[in-house]
Amino acid sequence: METAIRADGLRKSYGDVRALDGLSFTVDRGEFFGLLGPNGAGKTTFINVLVGLVRKTGGTAEVFGFDVETEYKRARDRIGLAPQEFNVDRFFPIHEVLEHKAGYHGVPKAEAAERAEDALKTVGIWDKRDTRFDWLSGGMKRRFLLARALVTDPELLILDEPTAGVDVQLRRDLWRVIERLNADGTTILLTTHYIEEAERLCDRVAIVDSGRIVEVATPDDLRARGTDEVFVTLSTRPSSVPDLGIDGIVDARLDGDALVVTAQGGGRVVPELLRTLEYEGYEALDVEIRRASLEEVFVDMTRPDEPAEKLGAIQ
Amino acid sequence: MTRNATQFRTLVRREVLRFVRRPYNTFLPPIITNTLYFAVFGVILGSRIGEIAGVSYLQFVLPGLVVLGAISDSFENASFSIFHGRWNDYIQAVLISPMSDRGMVAAYVSASALRGVVTSVLIIAVGLVFTPVPVANPLYLLAFVLVITTLFAGFGVIGGLWASDFDYLTVMTQFILRPLVFFGAVFYSLELLPPLWRTLSFFNPMVYMVNGVRYGMIGVTEIDPNVSLAVLTAATVAVLAVDLLLFERGYGLTE
Repeated sequence: METAIRADGLRKSYGDVRALDGLSFTVDRGEFFGLLGPNGAGKTTFINVLVGLVRKTGGTAEVFGFDVETEYKRARDRIGLAPQEFNVDRFFPIHEVLEHKAGYHGVPKAEAAERAEDALKTVGIWDKRDTRFDWLSGGMKRRFLLARALVTDPELLILDEPTAGVDVQLRRDLWRVIERLNADGTTILLTTHYIEEAERLCDRVAIVDSGRIVEVATPDDLRARGTDEVFVTLSTRPSSVPDLGIDGIVDARLDGDALVVTAQGGGRVVPELLRTLEYEGYEALDVEIRRASLEEVFVDMTRPDEPAEKLGAIQ
Repeated sequence: MTRNATQFRTLVRREVLRFVRRPYNTFLPPIITNTLYFAVFGVILGSRIGEIAGVSYLQFVLPGLVVLGAISDSFENASFSIFHGRWNDYIQAVLISPMSDRGMVAAYVSASALRGVVTSVLIIAVGLVFTPVPVANPLYLLAFVLVITTLFAGFGVIGGLWASDFDYLTVMTQFILRPLVFFGAVFYSLELLPPLWRTLSFFNPMVYMVNGVRYGMIGVTEIDPNVSLAVLTAATVAVLAVDLLLFERGYGLTE
Protein backbone atom coordinates (compact mmCIF):
# COMPACT_ATOMS: atom_id res chain seq x y z
CA MET A 1 0.00 0.00 0.00
CA GLU A 2 1.41 3.39 -1.00
CA THR A 3 1.88 5.87 1.82
CA ALA A 4 0.06 9.18 1.48
CA ILE A 5 1.51 10.81 4.61
CA ARG A 6 4.57 9.80 6.56
CA ALA A 7 5.61 11.69 9.68
CA ASP A 8 8.73 10.50 11.45
CA GLY A 9 9.92 12.05 14.69
CA LEU A 10 8.39 15.37 13.67
CA ARG A 11 9.22 18.23 16.02
CA LYS A 12 8.25 21.88 16.19
CA SER A 13 9.20 24.12 19.08
CA TYR A 14 8.18 27.68 19.87
CA GLY A 15 10.79 28.61 22.43
CA ASP A 16 10.25 26.19 25.30
CA VAL A 17 6.88 25.05 24.01
CA ARG A 18 6.92 21.83 22.04
CA ALA A 19 3.96 21.95 19.67
CA LEU A 20 5.11 18.73 18.00
CA ASP A 21 7.21 16.39 20.07
CA GLY A 22 8.35 13.47 17.95
CA LEU A 23 5.12 12.90 16.04
CA SER A 24 5.28 9.69 14.00
CA PHE A 25 2.59 7.94 11.99
CA THR A 26 1.59 7.02 8.45
CA VAL A 27 -1.57 7.38 6.42
CA ASP A 28 -2.18 5.04 3.47
CA ARG A 29 -3.29 6.20 0.04
CA GLY A 30 -7.07 6.19 -0.18
CA GLU A 31 -7.53 6.09 3.57
CA PHE A 32 -9.95 8.27 5.54
CA PHE A 33 -7.80 9.18 8.51
CA GLY A 34 -8.83 11.20 11.55
CA LEU A 35 -6.69 13.24 13.92
CA LEU A 36 -8.31 13.65 17.31
CA GLY A 37 -6.91 15.60 20.18
CA PRO A 38 -7.72 18.37 22.62
CA ASN A 39 -7.10 22.01 21.78
CA GLY A 40 -3.39 22.69 21.51
CA ALA A 41 -2.52 19.05 20.89
CA GLY A 42 -0.61 19.95 17.72
CA LYS A 43 -3.10 18.91 15.03
CA THR A 44 -3.14 22.21 13.11
CA THR A 45 0.61 22.64 13.57
CA PHE A 46 1.11 19.25 11.93
CA ILE A 47 -1.13 20.20 9.00
CA ASN A 48 0.70 23.50 8.59
CA VAL A 49 4.02 21.66 8.45
CA LEU A 50 2.65 19.56 5.58
CA VAL A 51 1.60 22.63 3.55
CA GLY A 52 4.62 24.80 4.42
CA LEU A 53 3.07 27.39 6.73
CA VAL A 54 5.11 26.08 9.66
CA ARG A 55 8.81 25.16 9.42
CA LYS A 56 9.55 22.02 11.37
CA THR A 57 12.31 22.00 13.97
CA GLY A 58 13.22 18.36 13.39
CA GLY A 59 12.16 15.02 11.96
CA THR A 60 10.72 14.40 8.52
CA ALA A 61 7.35 14.71 6.84
CA GLU A 62 6.47 13.35 3.41
CA VAL A 63 3.40 13.50 1.20
CA PHE A 64 3.19 10.65 -1.31
CA GLY A 65 6.92 10.14 -0.81
CA PHE A 66 7.87 13.77 -1.38
CA ASP A 67 9.58 15.66 1.43
CA VAL A 68 7.45 18.67 2.37
CA GLU A 69 10.48 20.97 2.45
CA THR A 70 13.02 19.75 -0.09
CA GLU A 71 10.38 18.60 -2.61
CA TYR A 72 7.70 21.06 -1.59
CA LYS A 73 6.41 21.74 -5.09
CA ARG A 74 5.53 18.11 -5.73
CA ALA A 75 4.17 17.63 -2.22
CA ARG A 76 1.98 20.75 -2.23
CA ASP A 77 0.72 20.05 -5.72
CA ARG A 78 -1.01 16.97 -4.32
CA ILE A 79 -2.61 18.67 -1.31
CA GLY A 80 -5.94 20.46 -1.01
CA LEU A 81 -6.48 22.17 2.33
CA ALA A 82 -9.70 23.41 3.91
CA PRO A 83 -8.38 25.25 6.96
CA GLN A 84 -10.06 25.84 10.26
CA GLU A 85 -9.91 29.64 9.99
CA PHE A 86 -11.43 31.71 7.19
CA ASN A 87 -8.51 32.90 5.05
CA VAL A 88 -10.13 33.91 1.81
CA ASP A 89 -9.29 36.75 -0.57
CA ARG A 90 -11.98 39.37 0.08
CA PHE A 91 -11.29 41.42 -3.06
CA PHE A 92 -12.82 39.02 -5.55
CA PRO A 93 -16.06 37.11 -6.12
CA ILE A 94 -15.71 33.53 -5.02
CA HIS A 95 -15.53 31.99 -8.50
CA GLU A 96 -12.49 34.17 -9.25
CA VAL A 97 -10.89 33.21 -5.93
CA LEU A 98 -11.14 29.59 -7.05
CA GLU A 99 -9.76 30.36 -10.50
CA HIS A 100 -6.80 32.10 -8.90
CA LYS A 101 -6.21 29.16 -6.58
CA ALA A 102 -6.19 26.74 -9.51
CA GLY A 103 -3.85 29.07 -11.40
CA TYR A 104 -1.37 29.09 -8.50
CA HIS A 105 -1.19 25.33 -9.03
CA GLY A 106 -0.45 25.82 -12.73
CA VAL A 107 -3.94 25.12 -14.09
CA PRO A 108 -4.53 27.14 -17.30
CA LYS A 109 -7.19 29.85 -17.16
CA ALA A 110 -9.94 28.14 -19.19
CA GLU A 111 -9.57 24.89 -17.27
CA ALA A 112 -9.41 26.79 -13.98
CA ALA A 113 -12.79 28.36 -14.78
CA GLU A 114 -14.28 24.93 -15.47
CA ARG A 115 -12.85 23.52 -12.27
CA ALA A 116 -14.18 26.47 -10.28
CA GLU A 117 -17.64 25.81 -11.65
CA ASP A 118 -17.41 22.09 -10.83
CA ALA A 119 -16.17 22.76 -7.30
CA LEU A 120 -18.90 25.31 -6.54
CA LYS A 121 -21.55 22.96 -7.91
CA THR A 122 -20.14 20.07 -5.88
CA VAL A 123 -20.60 21.98 -2.63
CA GLY A 124 -23.90 23.50 -3.75
CA ILE A 125 -23.10 27.23 -3.93
CA TRP A 126 -22.79 27.79 -7.69
CA ASP A 127 -25.62 30.33 -7.53
CA LYS A 128 -23.40 32.43 -5.23
CA ARG A 129 -20.47 32.47 -7.64
CA ASP A 130 -20.48 36.26 -8.09
CA THR A 131 -20.68 36.94 -4.36
CA ARG A 132 -17.70 37.89 -2.27
CA PHE A 133 -16.73 35.63 0.61
CA ASP A 134 -17.73 38.13 3.30
CA TRP A 135 -21.32 38.12 2.09
CA LEU A 136 -21.75 34.35 2.40
CA SER A 137 -23.51 32.82 5.40
CA GLY A 138 -21.43 30.85 7.91
CA GLY A 139 -22.46 27.53 6.38
CA MET A 140 -21.71 28.70 2.86
CA LYS A 141 -18.29 29.87 3.98
CA ARG A 142 -17.53 26.33 5.16
CA ARG A 143 -18.77 24.95 1.85
CA PHE A 144 -16.57 27.42 0.01
CA LEU A 145 -13.45 26.38 1.92
CA LEU A 146 -14.12 22.82 0.81
CA ALA A 147 -14.63 23.99 -2.79
CA ARG A 148 -11.31 25.83 -2.71
CA ALA A 149 -9.57 22.71 -1.46
CA LEU A 150 -11.14 20.69 -4.29
CA VAL A 151 -10.42 23.06 -7.16
CA THR A 152 -6.86 21.80 -7.55
CA ASP A 153 -8.10 18.20 -7.78
CA PRO A 154 -5.95 17.02 -4.85
CA GLU A 155 -4.88 13.47 -4.13
CA LEU A 156 -4.76 14.35 -0.43
CA LEU A 157 -7.59 16.41 1.01
CA ILE A 158 -6.86 17.91 4.42
CA LEU A 159 -9.89 19.06 6.37
CA ASP A 160 -9.14 20.98 9.55
CA GLU A 161 -12.38 21.16 11.54
CA PRO A 162 -14.48 21.29 8.35
CA THR A 163 -17.84 21.29 10.11
CA ALA A 164 -17.04 23.59 13.03
CA GLY A 165 -20.04 25.76 13.82
CA VAL A 166 -22.35 24.44 11.10
CA ASP A 167 -25.85 23.04 11.60
CA VAL A 168 -26.60 19.33 11.54
CA GLN A 169 -28.08 19.33 8.03
CA LEU A 170 -25.08 21.06 6.50
CA ARG A 171 -22.72 18.82 8.43
CA ARG A 172 -24.38 15.78 6.91
CA ASP A 173 -24.30 17.40 3.44
CA LEU A 174 -20.57 17.96 3.79
CA TRP A 175 -20.08 14.41 5.04
CA ARG A 176 -21.77 13.07 1.90
CA VAL A 177 -19.45 15.13 -0.31
CA ILE A 178 -16.37 14.02 1.60
CA GLU A 179 -17.41 10.37 1.65
CA ARG A 180 -17.95 10.42 -2.11
CA LEU A 181 -14.51 11.92 -2.66
CA ASN A 182 -12.96 9.24 -0.50
CA ALA A 183 -14.86 6.54 -2.32
CA ASP A 184 -13.42 7.91 -5.57
CA GLY A 185 -9.89 7.45 -4.20
CA THR A 186 -9.01 10.75 -2.52
CA THR A 187 -7.02 10.30 0.66
CA ILE A 188 -8.54 12.34 3.46
CA LEU A 189 -6.95 13.66 6.63
CA LEU A 190 -9.59 15.01 8.99
CA THR A 191 -9.25 16.82 12.27
CA THR A 192 -12.42 17.26 14.21
CA HIS A 193 -13.83 17.98 17.63
CA TYR A 194 -16.95 16.00 16.78
CA ILE A 195 -16.25 12.44 17.87
CA GLU A 196 -19.37 11.28 16.02
CA GLU A 197 -17.81 12.63 12.83
CA ALA A 198 -14.65 10.60 13.34
CA GLU A 199 -16.59 7.46 14.25
CA ARG A 200 -18.76 7.71 11.18
CA LEU A 201 -16.19 8.74 8.60
CA CYS A 202 -12.73 7.51 9.53
CA ASP A 203 -11.08 4.20 8.69
CA ARG A 204 -8.50 4.91 11.36
CA VAL A 205 -7.96 7.64 13.88
CA ALA A 206 -4.86 8.89 15.65
CA ILE A 207 -5.28 10.36 19.08
CA VAL A 208 -2.80 13.19 19.50
CA ASP A 209 -1.86 14.87 22.75
CA SER A 210 0.95 17.26 23.61
CA GLY A 211 2.43 16.95 20.12
CA ARG A 212 2.69 13.16 20.26
CA ILE A 213 0.60 10.29 18.97
CA VAL A 214 -1.05 8.51 21.87
CA GLU A 215 -2.70 5.79 19.81
CA VAL A 216 -3.57 4.88 16.22
CA ALA A 217 -6.40 2.42 15.62
CA THR A 218 -9.79 1.96 14.01
CA PRO A 219 -12.68 3.57 15.88
CA ASP A 220 -14.00 0.08 16.74
CA ASP A 221 -10.64 -1.01 18.17
CA LEU A 222 -10.42 2.10 20.26
CA ARG A 223 -13.91 1.66 21.60
CA ALA A 224 -13.07 -1.91 22.53
CA ARG A 225 -10.29 -0.61 24.76
CA GLY A 226 -12.73 1.44 26.77
CA THR A 227 -14.75 0.21 29.74
CA ASP A 228 -18.38 -0.81 29.16
CA GLU A 229 -21.10 -0.60 31.78
CA VAL A 230 -23.32 -3.64 32.38
CA PHE A 231 -26.68 -2.85 34.04
CA VAL A 232 -28.25 -5.94 35.68
CA THR A 233 -31.75 -5.39 37.07
CA LEU A 234 -32.29 -7.77 40.02
CA SER A 235 -35.54 -9.05 41.49
CA THR A 236 -34.43 -8.05 44.97
CA ARG A 237 -32.07 -5.24 45.89
CA PRO A 238 -28.91 -6.59 47.55
CA SER A 239 -27.91 -4.99 50.84
CA SER A 240 -24.39 -4.61 49.50
CA VAL A 241 -22.46 -5.15 46.30
CA PRO A 242 -22.02 -8.92 45.82
CA ASP A 243 -18.51 -10.34 45.77
CA LEU A 244 -18.13 -11.10 42.05
CA GLY A 245 -14.42 -12.01 41.65
CA ILE A 246 -14.52 -12.04 37.83
CA ASP A 247 -11.55 -11.12 35.66
CA GLY A 248 -12.12 -7.97 33.60
CA ILE A 249 -14.47 -6.28 36.04
CA VAL A 250 -13.12 -2.89 37.06
CA ASP A 251 -15.86 -1.69 39.34
CA ALA A 252 -19.30 -2.62 40.64
CA ARG A 253 -21.95 -0.51 42.39
CA LEU A 254 -25.62 -0.50 43.19
CA ASP A 255 -28.05 1.85 41.49
CA GLY A 256 -31.60 1.26 42.80
CA ASP A 257 -32.56 -2.31 41.89
CA ALA A 258 -29.73 -2.52 39.40
CA LEU A 259 -26.20 -3.72 39.83
CA VAL A 260 -23.91 -1.63 37.64
CA VAL A 261 -20.71 -3.40 36.66
CA THR A 262 -17.89 -1.60 34.86
CA ALA A 263 -15.76 -3.92 32.77
CA GLN A 264 -13.49 -4.08 29.79
CA GLY A 265 -15.40 -6.03 27.14
CA GLY A 266 -18.82 -5.98 28.77
CA GLY A 267 -20.20 -8.69 26.50
CA ARG A 268 -17.48 -11.12 27.55
CA VAL A 269 -18.13 -10.87 31.28
CA VAL A 270 -21.95 -11.08 31.16
CA PRO A 271 -22.31 -14.93 31.09
CA GLU A 272 -20.02 -15.43 34.07
CA LEU A 273 -21.57 -12.44 35.83
CA LEU A 274 -25.06 -13.93 35.52
CA ARG A 275 -23.84 -17.35 36.69
CA THR A 276 -22.17 -15.79 39.71
CA LEU A 277 -25.24 -13.77 40.62
CA GLU A 278 -27.45 -16.86 40.31
CA TYR A 279 -25.01 -18.80 42.50
CA GLU A 280 -25.20 -15.99 45.08
CA GLY A 281 -29.01 -16.25 45.05
CA TYR A 282 -29.96 -13.23 42.95
CA GLU A 283 -32.45 -13.36 40.08
CA ALA A 284 -31.56 -11.21 37.09
CA LEU A 285 -34.63 -9.69 35.39
CA ASP A 286 -32.89 -7.65 32.72
CA VAL A 287 -29.39 -7.06 31.36
CA GLU A 288 -28.25 -4.01 29.41
CA ILE A 289 -24.75 -3.30 28.14
CA ARG A 290 -23.81 0.31 27.57
CA ARG A 291 -20.78 0.35 25.28
CA ALA A 292 -17.86 2.69 25.84
CA SER A 293 -18.00 5.57 23.41
CA LEU A 294 -15.02 6.77 21.41
CA GLU A 295 -15.49 10.02 23.27
CA GLU A 296 -14.85 8.33 26.62
CA VAL A 297 -11.83 6.49 25.27
CA PHE A 298 -10.54 9.74 23.86
CA VAL A 299 -10.87 11.47 27.23
CA ASP A 300 -9.26 8.54 29.05
CA MET A 301 -6.28 8.67 26.70
CA THR A 302 -5.73 12.41 26.74
CA ARG A 303 -6.86 13.83 30.07
CA PRO A 304 -7.90 10.91 32.27
CA ASP A 305 -8.31 13.17 35.30
CA GLU A 306 -10.57 15.72 33.65
CA PRO A 307 -14.17 15.47 32.48
CA ALA A 308 -14.69 15.74 28.74
CA GLU A 309 -16.52 19.06 28.91
CA LYS A 310 -13.51 20.72 30.51
CA LEU A 311 -11.27 19.74 27.65
CA GLY A 312 -13.35 21.64 25.16
CA ALA A 313 -12.77 18.63 23.02
CA ILE A 314 -16.22 17.20 22.86
CA GLN A 315 -18.98 19.30 21.40
CA MET B 1 2.52 28.09 -21.53
CA THR B 2 4.64 26.35 -18.92
CA ARG B 3 3.35 25.55 -15.49
CA ASN B 4 5.60 28.15 -13.84
CA ALA B 5 4.44 30.78 -16.34
CA THR B 6 0.79 29.99 -15.58
CA GLN B 7 1.42 30.34 -11.86
CA PHE B 8 3.27 33.63 -12.33
CA ARG B 9 0.67 35.01 -14.71
CA THR B 10 -2.17 34.09 -12.36
CA LEU B 11 -0.64 35.94 -9.42
CA VAL B 12 0.24 38.97 -11.57
CA ARG B 13 -3.31 39.00 -12.94
CA ARG B 14 -4.77 38.82 -9.44
CA GLU B 15 -2.56 41.67 -8.27
CA VAL B 16 -3.29 43.86 -11.31
CA LEU B 17 -7.04 43.26 -11.14
CA ARG B 18 -6.98 44.29 -7.50
CA PHE B 19 -5.80 47.79 -8.32
CA VAL B 20 -7.48 48.15 -11.71
CA ARG B 21 -10.91 47.45 -10.25
CA ARG B 22 -10.50 50.11 -7.58
CA PRO B 23 -9.65 53.22 -9.59
CA TYR B 24 -11.08 55.51 -6.92
CA ASN B 25 -8.49 54.20 -4.50
CA THR B 26 -5.61 53.70 -6.90
CA PHE B 27 -5.68 55.98 -9.95
CA LEU B 28 -7.91 58.88 -9.01
CA PRO B 29 -5.79 60.10 -6.05
CA PRO B 30 -2.61 60.71 -8.12
CA ILE B 31 -4.68 62.42 -10.81
CA ILE B 32 -6.24 64.82 -8.31
CA THR B 33 -3.04 65.37 -6.34
CA ASN B 34 -0.98 66.13 -9.44
CA THR B 35 -3.64 68.39 -10.88
CA LEU B 36 -3.33 70.39 -7.66
CA TYR B 37 0.47 70.35 -7.86
CA PHE B 38 0.42 71.60 -11.44
CA ALA B 39 -2.17 74.25 -10.66
CA VAL B 40 -0.40 75.60 -7.57
CA PHE B 41 3.30 75.04 -8.26
CA GLY B 42 3.20 75.26 -12.00
CA VAL B 43 0.62 77.80 -12.97
CA ILE B 44 0.41 80.08 -9.91
CA LEU B 45 3.98 79.95 -8.56
CA GLY B 46 5.63 78.99 -11.84
CA SER B 47 4.63 82.19 -13.55
CA ARG B 48 6.62 84.14 -10.95
CA ILE B 49 9.62 81.76 -10.93
CA GLY B 50 10.24 81.81 -14.66
CA GLU B 51 12.56 79.34 -16.40
CA ILE B 52 14.87 76.81 -14.75
CA ALA B 53 17.46 74.92 -16.81
CA GLY B 54 16.03 76.45 -19.94
CA VAL B 55 12.45 75.16 -19.49
CA SER B 56 9.34 76.46 -17.76
CA TYR B 57 9.01 75.70 -14.05
CA LEU B 58 6.05 73.44 -14.85
CA GLN B 59 8.17 71.37 -17.23
CA PHE B 60 10.99 71.35 -14.67
CA VAL B 61 8.86 69.92 -11.83
CA LEU B 62 6.97 67.45 -14.01
CA PRO B 63 9.71 64.74 -13.95
CA GLY B 64 9.92 65.01 -10.16
CA LEU B 65 6.19 64.61 -9.84
CA VAL B 66 6.34 61.54 -12.08
CA VAL B 67 8.98 60.04 -9.78
CA LEU B 68 6.99 60.96 -6.68
CA GLY B 69 3.84 59.29 -8.01
CA ALA B 70 5.61 56.28 -9.52
CA ILE B 71 7.61 55.28 -6.47
CA SER B 72 4.82 56.03 -4.00
CA ASP B 73 2.31 53.88 -5.84
CA SER B 74 4.65 51.00 -6.62
CA PHE B 75 5.79 50.94 -2.98
CA GLU B 76 2.29 51.25 -1.57
CA ASN B 77 0.90 48.60 -3.90
CA ALA B 78 3.42 45.94 -2.93
CA SER B 79 3.47 46.75 0.77
CA PHE B 80 -0.32 46.98 1.07
CA SER B 81 -1.04 43.88 -0.97
CA ILE B 82 1.38 41.68 0.95
CA PHE B 83 0.52 43.12 4.35
CA HIS B 84 -3.23 42.91 3.72
CA GLY B 85 -2.83 39.31 2.58
CA ARG B 86 -0.91 38.53 5.76
CA TRP B 87 -3.34 40.46 7.95
CA ASN B 88 -6.29 38.48 6.60
CA ASP B 89 -4.28 35.28 6.03
CA TYR B 90 -5.39 34.93 2.40
CA ILE B 91 -1.79 35.13 1.23
CA GLN B 92 -1.70 31.54 2.51
CA ALA B 93 -3.52 30.45 -0.66
CA VAL B 94 -0.38 31.46 -2.55
CA LEU B 95 2.09 30.26 0.06
CA ILE B 96 0.72 26.71 0.24
CA SER B 97 0.68 26.38 -3.55
CA PRO B 98 3.54 24.79 -5.50
CA MET B 99 4.70 28.25 -6.67
CA SER B 100 8.38 28.93 -6.15
CA ASP B 101 9.51 31.79 -3.93
CA ARG B 102 11.15 33.34 -6.96
CA GLY B 103 7.86 33.24 -8.86
CA MET B 104 5.98 34.86 -5.99
CA VAL B 105 8.49 37.69 -5.60
CA ALA B 106 8.58 38.27 -9.36
CA ALA B 107 4.78 38.45 -9.54
CA TYR B 108 4.33 40.84 -6.60
CA VAL B 109 7.12 43.11 -7.83
CA SER B 110 6.00 43.08 -11.49
CA ALA B 111 2.40 43.94 -10.70
CA SER B 112 3.39 46.73 -8.32
CA ALA B 113 5.94 48.14 -10.75
CA LEU B 114 3.25 48.11 -13.42
CA ARG B 115 1.01 50.19 -11.17
CA GLY B 116 3.87 52.68 -10.79
CA VAL B 117 4.29 52.84 -14.57
CA VAL B 118 0.55 53.42 -15.07
CA THR B 119 0.66 56.20 -12.48
CA SER B 120 3.61 57.77 -14.33
CA VAL B 121 1.61 57.80 -17.56
CA LEU B 122 -1.39 59.32 -15.80
CA ILE B 123 0.75 62.09 -14.29
CA ILE B 124 2.28 62.87 -17.69
CA ALA B 125 -1.25 62.94 -19.13
CA VAL B 126 -2.31 65.42 -16.45
CA GLY B 127 0.81 67.48 -17.22
CA LEU B 128 -0.21 67.62 -20.88
CA VAL B 129 -3.32 69.51 -19.84
CA PHE B 130 -1.14 72.31 -18.46
CA THR B 131 1.95 72.32 -20.67
CA PRO B 132 3.65 70.61 -23.62
CA VAL B 133 5.59 67.62 -22.30
CA PRO B 134 8.96 67.13 -23.95
CA VAL B 135 10.54 63.67 -24.22
CA ALA B 136 14.16 64.36 -25.04
CA ASN B 137 15.54 60.86 -24.37
CA PRO B 138 12.67 58.33 -24.52
CA LEU B 139 14.81 55.25 -23.85
CA TYR B 140 16.34 56.83 -20.76
CA LEU B 141 12.89 57.90 -19.63
CA LEU B 142 11.57 54.36 -20.04
CA ALA B 143 14.63 52.82 -18.39
CA PHE B 144 14.48 55.14 -15.38
CA VAL B 145 10.74 54.68 -14.88
CA LEU B 146 11.09 50.90 -15.07
CA VAL B 147 14.04 50.71 -12.72
CA ILE B 148 12.64 53.04 -10.06
CA THR B 149 9.19 51.41 -10.05
CA THR B 150 10.84 47.98 -9.77
CA LEU B 151 13.14 49.21 -7.02
CA PHE B 152 10.28 50.61 -4.95
CA ALA B 153 8.05 47.64 -5.62
CA GLY B 154 10.94 45.63 -4.17
CA PHE B 155 11.09 47.93 -1.14
CA GLY B 156 7.32 47.56 -0.83
CA VAL B 157 7.68 43.79 -0.57
CA ILE B 158 10.08 44.25 2.35
CA GLY B 159 7.72 46.76 3.95
CA GLY B 160 4.74 44.45 3.51
CA LEU B 161 6.62 41.58 5.15
CA TRP B 162 7.95 43.75 7.98
CA ALA B 163 4.73 45.57 8.89
CA SER B 164 2.80 44.15 11.80
CA ASP B 165 0.06 46.76 11.71
CA PHE B 166 -1.45 49.24 9.26
CA ASP B 167 0.36 52.03 11.11
CA TYR B 168 3.67 50.69 9.83
CA LEU B 169 2.58 51.32 6.25
CA THR B 170 1.71 54.93 7.08
CA VAL B 171 5.05 55.42 8.82
CA MET B 172 6.97 54.12 5.83
CA THR B 173 5.24 56.26 3.24
CA GLN B 174 4.65 59.47 5.19
CA PHE B 175 7.76 59.69 7.34
CA ILE B 176 10.43 58.08 5.16
CA LEU B 177 9.40 58.09 1.52
CA ARG B 178 7.81 61.52 1.16
CA PRO B 179 10.54 63.53 2.95
CA LEU B 180 13.20 61.88 0.81
CA VAL B 181 11.25 62.73 -2.32
CA PHE B 182 10.57 66.34 -1.30
CA PHE B 183 14.26 66.84 -0.60
CA GLY B 184 15.13 65.03 -3.82
CA ALA B 185 15.20 68.12 -6.05
CA VAL B 186 11.66 67.63 -7.27
CA PHE B 187 10.68 71.29 -6.90
CA TYR B 188 14.06 72.98 -7.13
CA SER B 189 17.39 72.78 -8.89
CA LEU B 190 20.41 71.60 -6.87
CA GLU B 191 22.22 74.69 -8.14
CA LEU B 192 19.98 76.81 -5.97
CA LEU B 193 21.13 75.09 -2.77
CA PRO B 194 24.01 76.24 -0.52
CA PRO B 195 27.14 74.06 -1.04
CA LEU B 196 26.63 72.00 2.16
CA TRP B 197 23.02 71.12 1.34
CA ARG B 198 23.94 70.46 -2.26
CA THR B 199 26.62 67.98 -1.14
CA LEU B 200 24.24 66.32 1.32
CA SER B 201 21.63 65.99 -1.42
CA PHE B 202 23.89 63.59 -3.30
CA PHE B 203 23.37 61.08 -0.47
CA ASN B 204 19.64 61.11 -1.18
CA PRO B 205 18.89 58.36 -3.72
CA MET B 206 15.81 60.28 -4.88
CA VAL B 207 18.06 62.95 -6.41
CA TYR B 208 19.41 60.37 -8.86
CA MET B 209 15.93 59.20 -9.79
CA VAL B 210 14.54 62.68 -10.29
CA ASN B 211 17.56 63.72 -12.33
CA GLY B 212 17.37 60.56 -14.42
CA VAL B 213 13.73 61.04 -15.33
CA ARG B 214 14.36 64.75 -15.87
CA TYR B 215 17.11 63.83 -18.33
CA GLY B 216 14.70 61.54 -20.14
CA MET B 217 12.07 64.25 -20.41
CA ILE B 218 13.80 67.61 -20.81
CA GLY B 219 17.33 66.45 -21.59
CA VAL B 220 18.83 68.27 -18.62
CA THR B 221 20.50 66.67 -15.62
CA GLU B 222 22.90 67.58 -12.84
CA ILE B 223 24.23 64.01 -12.55
CA ASP B 224 25.51 61.69 -15.30
CA PRO B 225 22.40 59.63 -16.24
CA ASN B 226 24.44 56.49 -16.92
CA VAL B 227 25.92 56.61 -13.44
CA SER B 228 22.44 57.12 -11.97
CA LEU B 229 21.04 54.24 -13.99
CA ALA B 230 23.87 51.92 -12.99
CA VAL B 231 23.53 52.78 -9.29
CA LEU B 232 19.75 52.39 -9.34
CA THR B 233 19.96 49.10 -11.24
CA ALA B 234 22.46 47.74 -8.73
CA ALA B 235 20.21 48.87 -5.87
CA THR B 236 17.22 47.18 -7.53
CA VAL B 237 19.08 43.89 -7.91
CA ALA B 238 20.15 44.06 -4.26
CA VAL B 239 16.62 44.79 -3.03
CA LEU B 240 15.12 41.98 -5.12
CA ALA B 241 17.75 39.62 -3.69
CA VAL B 242 16.64 40.65 -0.19
CA ASP B 243 12.99 40.09 -1.18
CA LEU B 244 13.83 36.58 -2.35
CA LEU B 245 15.84 35.82 0.76
CA LEU B 246 12.98 36.94 2.99
CA PHE B 247 10.47 34.79 1.10
CA GLU B 248 12.77 31.79 1.22
CA ARG B 249 13.18 32.23 4.96
CA GLY B 250 9.46 32.76 5.38
CA TYR B 251 10.01 36.11 7.11
CA GLY B 252 6.59 37.43 8.15
CA LEU B 253 4.96 34.57 6.25
CA THR B 254 5.55 31.29 8.05
CA GLU B 255 6.13 30.19 11.63
